[in-house]
Amino acid sequence: MTTAESVQTVVRLSVAACVLALAPIIAAAQQEQPAASTRAAPAAGGIANERAFPTIESGKWAGKRLPDGQPDVSGDWSNTIANHDNFTDPQGGIPGDPSPVARNHKLGPRAERAPSRVSDPADGELPYQPWARAKQQEFAVGFFNAVKPEYIEPLARCAPSGIPKSLYWHGYEIRQYPGYVVFLFGSGWRIIHLDGKPHLPVNIKLWNGDSRGHWEGNTLVVDVTNENSKARFARTGEFASENVHIEERYIFSSDNKRYNYVATFTDPTVYTRPVTITIPARRWTLDDPKNSWHFPVVAANNPGKATIADHFESICVENNGGFGQLVSRKN
Amino acid sequence: MREKLSLNLKNVTQRSRSLGQDIGAVLTVCFLVSPVLAASDTDAGVGKIPRLASGKPDFSGIWQTTSAADQGLEPHEARKGAPPSAGVVEGDVIPYTAEALEKKKKNYEARATADPRLKCWTLGTPRGIYYPEPFQVFQRAQDLTLVFEFGDSVRTIHTDGTLHPVETDHEFWLGDSRGRWEGDTLVVDVTDFNDQTWLSRAGDFHDEALHVVERWKLIDANTIDYRASIEDPKVYSRPWNIEVYLYRHREKNFQLIENYCYTLDYDQYYPIPKQQ
Repeated sequence: MTTAESVQTVVRLSVAACVLALAPIIAAAQQEQPAASTRAAPAAGGIANERAFPTIESGKWAGKRLPDGQPDVSGDWSNTIANHDNFTDPQGGIPGDPSPVARNHKLGPRAERAPSRVSDPADGELPYQPWARAKQQEFAVGFFNAVKPEYIEPLARCAPSGIPKSLYWHGYEIRQYPGYVVFLFGSGWRIIHLDGKPHLPVNIKLWNGDSRGHWEGNTLVVDVTNENSKARFARTGEFASENVHIEERYIFSSDNKRYNYVATFTDPTVYTRPVTITIPARRWTLDDPKNSWHFPVVAANNPGKATIADHFESICVENNGGFGQLVSRKN
Repeated sequence: MREKLSLNLKNVTQRSRSLGQDIGAVLTVCFLVSPVLAASDTDAGVGKIPRLASGKPDFSGIWQTTSAADQGLEPHEARKGAPPSAGVVEGDVIPYTAEALEKKKKNYEARATADPRLKCWTLGTPRGIYYPEPFQVFQRAQDLTLVFEFGDSVRTIHTDGTLHPVETDHEFWLGDSRGRWEGDTLVVDVTDFNDQTWLSRAGDFHDEALHVVERWKLIDANTIDYRASIEDPKVYSRPWNIEVYLYRHREKNFQLIENYCYTLDYDQYYPIPKQQ
C-alpha cells in the first residue's frame, strides 16, 4: 500500500464510520467486512481476532522503564476482540443488522465467540436498573431505524468515542512523559495526569472525562470522573450517566506485548451494583502485517536509516464536510 | 479560575497600544512574581531555560499567547469584538498579490460566518499557535506533540531526522512538520497543506502551496519567542514573517480542558438517558 493509499484508507474509514449510522442500508453493507472477519477469525488482519485472551496479573514490572521510572509502554496498541458493533457479544454483530450477509449468517453457539466485555457480573450483562435497560434497548432498536437524532451514534458525527469505546475503535497510540500518559485515539485524545492534582469541578462534563493516574508495578491505575457519558459504549446502546465513577486498571504484561483493561464502573443512578469491564489489547509494530484499522501508520521517509512509523494527523469533522451540520440542520 | 484569567488577559490587551507594550506589561508582571514561581515551577532562574537530559531546550508545558494576532496579523484599530493591535507582521504588511488581496477583503467582509474557526475546525499552522486558547507541548527526544484545547487537533513535530513524506499531496490540515535544532532554536519546516484554513479572524488566508518555517526559542523559563516565515507564491509576492510571544500557564492545577466544540452543534440531541 502506498502512502497515499494509506491516507485514503484512514479517510475512508472515517467517512465510513460516519455513513454507517446515517444510512442503515449502507451501514449494513459496510458491516460485511468485520463480520466476515469475525467468522473467518484470521490469524492476522481484520478487526476480530481472538475468542479468548489471557489474564494478566497485577504485580511487579519487569520490562524496560523510562528515565522517570514509568514502565515504558509507549507505542501503538489495539483491542484483540472486535469493534464497537456489540458490547456484550463483541463478535456477535449488530442485533437487527439488515445486511444480506448478516441475515444469511447463522451465529453458532455463544461460547464459540469472544466473551462479553462485562466480566462482572458473571452473566456478562450490565446490571441495569429496569428503566435503564429499556433505554439501552430503545437505542439498539433505533440504531437501524434512526427516527430520532439521538439514535445516530455521536461517533458518526465525529464526536470522541469516549470511555471505554475509544479502546476498541481503531488502533491508538500511547505516548508517555514525566507526569503524563497521553492516549492519541482516532477520535480524540486523553491526557492521564500522574501528578495527583484534584479533579476538575464537578459541573464540567467531558467526552473523555477527567483522568488522574498512578503506576502500581505493571498497572496504570486511573480514576475517571467528569464524564458527559454521551458517547455510548457500542452500537448496542450501553451507557452510564454523568454520575459514573470509573476506576481503570491497565495491566501490562512484562514482555510489553499485551495489556488488559479492567475497569470498575460505579453508577448508582443507572446500575444496581458496580460493574467490571474487561478489554484485551495488544501491541502493534511495523513487524506486523499491514492493517490500517488496528495500526494506521506509514513508514516514515528516513532513507538509509531505521524504519520508523509515521502517524498522520487524525481529522474527522473537517474532512467529512457538511455531514454533521447537515444532520443538525435537518433535525 | 479560567474565566478570571481570560478576563485579565483581555484587559491587558485592551489597555495596550502596541504588542511591545503588551509584552512589556506581562513581562513586568512576570518579573514581579517570577523569582518565587520560576524557582518552584521549573527550577530555573531568570535567563535559564528548562532542558531535557540531552541538553536540548525543553518546551514541555501549557502555552498561550496574550497577543491579538488571531484578531488580525496586521496592525489594526479597535473594531467591534476585537481589541486594537500593532500587529505581529514584520514590516506591518502581508504582501498579498493584487488578486489575493481582493479575496482577503472578501474574507474580511464575510468573517462573521466564513471563518473556519466558527465551525470549530482545525485551525492549522501557524494559527493554532497564536489562537487565544491554550495548547500543551509534550516533548521527547524524537518528537514534540502539540495538543490543542480547541477542537480535535494534535500536531506532531518530528525531531528524529525523518524527512517530509516522499508524496507531497496529502493536503494536511496542520501540515507535515519536521524539526531540527540550530543551537537552542527549534527550526520546523512545515509543508503539504490544504487550502481550507485561515490565518486569522480578519480573513488572512493561504493556498495549498503554503510553506511555513517556524523558529521556536525559549527566551526565559516561561516565555517562548515564536517566529514563523510564511511563503505561498500563489497568494503572496514574497515570504513574510510573524513573531509572537507565548507564555507558560503557571496557575495552580491548570490543565487543558477538552473543547470538542464542533459537538456543541448536536449536543442537544444527546441527552443522558434518565429515569422518567
